[in-house]
Amino acid sequence: MSFDPLVAVALSSAALSVVLLVWFVAKDRPLTRSLKIVLLFGIGVLPLATAATGNIAGYNATKSTKFCSSCHVMTPYGEDSWSRDSKSLASRHARNEMFGHENCYACHADYGMFGTITTKLGGMRHVYEYVFNFHQLELNTALEKIEIRRPFQNTTCMHCHSTQNPAWNAIGDHASSLDDVRAGKVSCASEGCHGPAHPFSKAIKAKAKAKAVSP
Amino acid sequence: MKRLLRISAGLTVIGLAFMVWSLVQPTPMPVILAMSVGQGAGSLAFGLYLYVIVVDLRRERRRKRRESLENIPTAKGPPAP
Repeated sequence: MSFDPLVAVALSSAALSVVLLVWFVAKDRPLTRSLKIVLLFGIGVLPLATAATGNIAGYNATKSTKFCSSCHVMTPYGEDSWSRDSKSLASRHARNEMFGHENCYACHADYGMFGTITTKLGGMRHVYEYVFNFHQLELNTALEKIEIRRPFQNTTCMHCHSTQNPAWNAIGDHASSLDDVRAGKVSCASEGCHGPAHPFSKAIKAKAKAKAVSP
Repeated sequence: MKRLLRISAGLTVIGLAFMVWSLVQPTPMPVILAMSVGQGAGSLAFGLYLYVIVVDLRRERRRKRRESLENIPTAKGPPAP
């Protein structure tokens, strides 16, 4: 576990606050001005410092692939992205240092003005779905059911691949579909282009679909 | 008042426990609980503390005003014949 100054500040503030509160509760003391000031720190200032720094640390933690993979239905996605042997789009991007340990977030976050907020609201929906629909399911059954809520947006890819680079436009397929790619009419992750980012999940779904159709 | 402060201290400790749990084990459930139950308990605790302080300050002010009024010499009428 790496040293995080925010976590250190949060833990120290919490510890100090608890010490002050235990000191207050341990003995019956008159409510003097100095006791009020001690309690202002014990109940107000220090817990607020813990909450503020803890929130930022918690928010940063929610961006990590480890966090996303901590729900069992997401583990194969995380493992695929970490795998050095995988040739999936997700894994090839995850090897880029710019993505690092936040490779889920890098591709699945919204980058609009309120992107962070909408991404976190989407995360709350994930929690709801997990708790009420997927928590009890076996991994294979869950993988057959999991679907991305809306088609992956090209704008997310274009956050890095701007489509302005001459080298990018020198590729025939890029040049011929430039307007459609920019307009989102042709998905970067469509079959025939770069393909799905997590191809293993598509294979599982296709297998389940074929099983359901066949008598 | 003291009892309310003790409750406030207890709520603070509960809130802090959730926050520390989320820092030590940053997985979905602890983080969600810290940001909801933990912060709720902390806010309620701080609200109780402020309530106690405000009530105590007003009580003190009333007591001081009463004392100052008692010290004002009152006008008395002429002594009865």
